[in-house]
Amino acid sequence: MAEYEINARGLQCPGPIVQLFNQSKKAQAGDIIKIEVTDQGFKKDVQAWCKKTGCDLVDLKEENNVIYATIKKN
Amino acid sequence: MVIIGGVAAGTKAASKAKRENPDLEVVVITKEKDISYAGCGLPYYIGGVIHERHELVVRKPEDFKNDQGIDILNEHEATKIDPAAKTVTYEAKNTGDVKTISYDYLVLAMGASPTLPNLDGKELKNIHTLRTVPDAEAIRRLVDSGEIKEAVVVGAGFIGLEAAENLHLKGIQVTVVEFAPLILSGYDEEMSLLIKNYLVEQGLNIKTGVGVTGFVGDDKGDVSGVKTGEETIPAQLVVWAGGVKPNVKIAKEAGIVIGPTGAIAVNEYQETNIPGIYAAGDCAENTNLITKEKVWFAMGSTANKTGRITGLNIVRGRKESLPGVLGTSIVKLFELHAARTGLTEKQAVEKGYNAVSVIVPGNDKAHYYPGYREIITKLIADSTDGKILGVQVIGEGQVDKPVDIIAALISCNGTLEQLSRLDLAYAPPFSMAMSTSILAANVLRNKIEGKFKGMNPTELKKAIDNNEAIVLDVRTEIEHFLKAVPGSINIPDKELEVRANEIPKDKKIVLACRVGKRAYMILSRLKKLGFTDLYIMDGGIACYPYELI
Repeated sequence: MAEYEINARGLQCPGPIVQLFNQSKKAQAGDIIKIEVTDQGFKKDVQAWCKKTGCDLVDLKEENNVIYATIKKN
Repeated sequence: MVIIGGVAAGTKAASKAKRENPDLEVVVITKEKDISYAGCGLPYYIGGVIHERHELVVRKPEDFKNDQGIDILNEHEATKIDPAAKTVTYEAKNTGDVKTISYDYLVLAMGASPTLPNLDGKELKNIHTLRTVPDAEAIRRLVDSGEIKEAVVVGAGFIGLEAAENLHLKGIQVTVVEFAPLILSGYDEEMSLLIKNYLVEQGLNIKTGVGVTGFVGDDKGDVSGVKTGEETIPAQLVVWAGGVKPNVKIAKEAGIVIGPTGAIAVNEYQETNIPGIYAAGDCAENTNLITKEKVWFAMGSTANKTGRITGLNIVRGRKESLPGVLGTSIVKLFELHAARTGLTEKQAVEKGYNAVSVIVPGNDKAHYYPGYREIITKLIADSTDGKILGVQVIGEGQVDKPVDIIAALISCNGTLEQLSRLDLAYAPPFSMAMSTSILAANVLRNKIEGKFKGMNPTELKKAIDNNEAIVLDVRTEIEHFLKAVPGSINIPDKELEVRANEIPKDKKIVLACRVGKRAYMILSRLKKLGFTDLYIMDGGIACYPYELI
């Protein structure tokens, strides 16, 4: 089970979600993807993404205007 | 000088007159116990955001006497005005004693009151309006008792929605029932729906186009539900915020002219038809600065202004006037801010203006500065002369600045051209280099100049339903996968020329991207490919309030 980290700070929509999409394509079921984003639209995007792809949104939090999401691919 | 009413306009008129002429004898008659209280703060008191009662009621009657020499007769109700004798009759609420006072100048500042219609079960306990401090205290006690699990708020105006938010934050399940088809009447349909969608996401249950038909109670005489026709919504607390009416009864009985809006008719000096009698605040009519029509906006900001003008004019004589108001307002609901000024597009069209609008998402700060938030601007102008008619701005970012800028500009008869040239304060923590207001002005100028045709979300929804238009979504595949207009076709901008054969030729093509920029960029490429009936989706997917899949 691998763990990937993406730094998508400073990227505007659709940058962060495209990075997540590309990483997810390479990942195996059970892998964890952690992503850091400053684009505020990402919060909704990542929730919609997980819902549509059946991935688990393990964690979603915002600290000092940075959004941290942890996703488990299923 | 006698003043009837002691909240915003009444006490402001009293203070201003006394400052201008310290020798003037000033008496305020008010039926309420509290004076000069923060009526607009009441929703925050029921939720405990404003913790203490004394934060709402800053000054006591004796403070007015001691600090300014103003006499306050609180818990006294004015019952009759005699303009010929220049007297006011009033009754002490505790003792029933009736007295008469003479005046040289009279100020009517009776405010407005909520109207709870005569519905079945209205006498049940725990049904409250929210206008006075005792109203707020009663609701706060119920909330703090922990016994309220469900509440219904009737009316989706500012006070109703603010109350709903505060109750929700206290862990109460809240249903908002609004008779009108939309919440917040000063907003156009698509903006109102965007606000509603946000509130529903936050956990409020909102029913629009639904009327309350009665209340049901339990065996203790407490309310237990709100009837809306067939349905009964469970509620142990009802906040009735279904609108207010100006208090004009004693004015009308005294022969003071009531205007077409139902409020007291005044000229720009706040004078009524009877010399020496003025009206200010929520009981008085306003003039719409744009249409010059009589309107009634019961706003705390206007009440303070008209109170001040009245006080000044009584001492100095026609010194100051209020030419009109724009209906400027702002509200915070959870983290969403919404502000507006001027006419809505719908109003502007109804009044015969050649109204054109755009919806433009932007950021309140530079996009690379941490903590920026998106705000959506709907700007409305007259296409014949470029005059700005109104604006609505919503989002989690700062919205008061753009709306105040545009309110100032409308007040000076400003145009889009002037707006797009304004030298506004800019540094990354405060604004985009091209502020959202300037950006919106530029987009609207492009639209008026015919550089593109836009389609408003509401129009688009109708056109899709009637099978007249199709959305060509030029975002990336992943964006389209996340959320898209039902039935839209996705051709990412890079693939346009290769896949042009997939675009239908028998319908209006509405180009969509997230905010409208990529759609605009692609317009000329599509024209080159021979497409002519092309539109840009106003505001893009970010501002589409209808179903997205």
